[in-house]
Amino acid sequence: MKKRLCWNQRTKTLILLAVAVFYLAGVAVWGLVGRESALVTDFSRKNLTPSLSYLFGTDWLGRDMLARTVTGLSISIIIGVCAAAVSAVIAGLLGVAAATLGKKVDAVITWLIDLIMGIPHILLLILISFAAGKGLTGVILGVSLTHWTSLARVIRAEVLQLKESTYIRTAEKLGHSKWRIAKKHMLPHLIPQFLVGLVLLFPHAILHEASITFLGFGLSTEQPAIGVILSESMKYLVTGKWWLALFPGLMLVLTVMLFDLLGECLRKLTDPGSVHR
Amino acid sequence: MKKKMLHTFGAVAAAVIMLASCGNPSTETQATSAAGTAGAGTTAVQTEAAGTAEGKDSVIVTMPTTSEPESGFDPAYGWGAGEHVHEPLIQSTLTVTTKDLKIEKDLATDYQMSEDGLTWTVKIRDGVMFTDGEKLTASDVAFTYNNVKEKSTVNDFTMLKEAVAVDDTTVEFHMEKPYSIWPYTMAIVGIVPEHAYDESYGQHPIGSGRYIMKQWDKGQQVIFEANPDYYGEQPKMKKVTVLFMEEEAALAAAQAGQVDVAHTAASYSDLSLDGYSLFSVASVDNRGFNLPATKAEEKDGLLVGNDFTSDPAVRKAINIGINREEMIQNVLNGHGTPAYSICDKMPWYNPDSEVSYDPEAAVKLLEEAGWTAGSDGIREKDGVRAEMTLMFSSGDSVRQALAEDTANQLKALGISVKTEGVGWDVAYDRAQSEPLVWGWGAHTPMELYNIYHSKAETGLAEYSPYANETVDRYMDQALETDLEGSYGLWQKAQWDGATGVTQDGDIPWIWLCNVDHLYFVRDGLTVADQKIHPHGHGWSIVNNVDEWDWK
Repeated sequence: MKKRLCWNQRTKTLILLAVAVFYLAGVAVWGLVGRESALVTDFSRKNLTPSLSYLFGTDWLGRDMLARTVTGLSISIIIGVCAAAVSAVIAGLLGVAAATLGKKVDAVITWLIDLIMGIPHILLLILISFAAGKGLTGVILGVSLTHWTSLARVIRAEVLQLKESTYIRTAEKLGHSKWRIAKKHMLPHLIPQFLVGLVLLFPHAILHEASITFLGFGLSTEQPAIGVILSESMKYLVTGKWWLALFPGLMLVLTVMLFDLLGECLRKLTDPGSVHR
Repeated sequence: MKKKMLHTFGAVAAAVIMLASCGNPSTETQATSAAGTAGAGTTAVQTEAAGTAEGKDSVIVTMPTTSEPESGFDPAYGWGAGEHVHEPLIQSTLTVTTKDLKIEKDLATDYQMSEDGLTWTVKIRDGVMFTDGEKLTASDVAFTYNNVKEKSTVNDFTMLKEAVAVDDTTVEFHMEKPYSIWPYTMAIVGIVPEHAYDESYGQHPIGSGRYIMKQWDKGQQVIFEANPDYYGEQPKMKKVTVLFMEEEAALAAAQAGQVDVAHTAASYSDLSLDGYSLFSVASVDNRGFNLPATKAEEKDGLLVGNDFTSDPAVRKAINIGINREEMIQNVLNGHGTPAYSICDKMPWYNPDSEVSYDPEAAVKLLEEAGWTAGSDGIREKDGVRAEMTLMFSSGDSVRQALAEDTANQLKALGISVKTEGVGWDVAYDRAQSEPLVWGWGAHTPMELYNIYHSKAETGLAEYSPYANETVDRYMDQALETDLEGSYGLWQKAQWDGATGVTQDGDIPWIWLCNVDHLYFVRDGLTVADQKIHPHGHGWSIVNNVDEWDWK
């Protein structure tokens, strides 16, 4: 590797990480605090183009699009965090169970993973969300119950591989208890995989939340959710109100990309292959 | 920016057309200004090219996708006689409603109600032909009515016992109970041929009306052609094409010059389109919300009533505390009229329903009733906070805006209103205990009955808990008397000088506005005078398409 002057890969990654975390936490907090102002309607200021006082403009109800976008993103981030956490836990448990509890359990879990992966994501999401009565719980349930599969596969494969590795076998031969081996030798190896997997679930979760809300199967229309904002803006695009879709859309893309970047950074920092660059 | 986007659209559109029309460049002079958006676009372009030369006699009209009759053009499944009433065009009806919503005869040459109100005898025109060449007789009429009674799920025919053809030109309707407004029902039921009726009738209807349905491309368009054997005046428009599309697509189609009449919404009304002008039709397509008039209690697991809105003073204060004119400016860009009842401008409307905006009086009403402002400015009485949730159907931007504006206006009175978008799957049940923004307005006084008359099973009105014996009695009487006499009784049901459903009465529903129906109409096309449109932004506009004219 080439030597860099002062900022090596690791520092750069750390800075990126800090920026991403700061931005996302900032949006989440700002959105929660500003929730009230996102709901205010004021017909004296409807359909304003972006200006200094309304950076993102206003919509046909005179709602401040900046406040709505930020609150919408914060709702998305919270849903993303909840859903990603729940799916990661499911993935972790099922992945480990499949790898350690014998052939039959493995077969069942693998079958379950295949089953869920076999159904188009968005379809299953809509079904679950609709069955759970739409709204916040519907979306969180829907996203968590559909997104754990790939991570579960990764974990299962990792554990299977670890089980066969020499140092684990040696530990077994030395008479260490199963629990001790799992805790001392396997877990440290699994955690980076798990964390990265968890963070990389966020963008998926957020995008899927936005899309089912856009399609009308998620959050209710008076909520300032990104999906709601984007689907409403469709009606007004034709009249030239470009700001209703552009800024919220950009912000959504930015958020998703930052989460993706965050995952990449974490991977670089924890993966033994790249951690010392 | 707007201009620039339009230019971009135009450029793309032009490119599409160039590609589409390189096969036969000679016929496409008109089409260069038109864009091809959807499959329907192509047909529109062809039609237009055909009708340009001299004295155009065809017209292309857009309608919302919800206007396409799912089960076909069959009155038994809601064609004409459904949730949104209109003239069925393909079939003819016994009577028609006039511009002032009175009754005129069409197929019927005479109709009479018996003394007890239980039999209607209708004489029909002789010599009317169905478009398949068969004669229309009284037995077709009887068949039609017995058929809709048996099958219709979208309109109420329970008052009819049976229809009987006495001879070729006389039909008798035997009623279960007196129903003085039967002529309004006769105005929406298209007569179908008994010999050519089966389950698939709606897909290829045969009638005796002004138009013949020539072609129906589901999800896209319906093409009508004038019926050459029509017994009345020959339609001036020989060909009517109806395209089904959303408002934004209709606007794009008009911007591209593809359609002659494009339905549109208030939010698009400030756009100016070259070659088109905005055409506004007054309507009784009202929007309003219910205020449950009973105390909250649980009935069969369903919450019925509302402690806050059950106080008549609250309902009165809300009714005069809302500035309808301002709301119409805010929400409809001025394209609407204030509504004070479910039937403004109809012959059965009672003008005593009208109120004027008076916030001071509203506050006084609340104060006198004991609703005093708490620390946060929201009123309270005996531990009940002056707050309610105002629901609207999700995705309806006009109803959402009305709900939001209501919330803003009522806040000034010290009433806290939360808005919530709900689906129709839960809206009916929830409206039993919370206000919901509704849209009503039909060409029959029966709507008053549906809204305000109590039901035998519950003792309360169907859509929002309310009951008043006097109001019920007037409406029962109105159905038992003759048609002319019934108008006065319907008016008395609204307000008789002592009680009713108006501001001075119980005011269980607040009416906000009648939404004007807006269209972009191509210059040169004269759309004939419209009757006041009922609820539904669809077929009403073409009720008299046969009288439209190109200059």
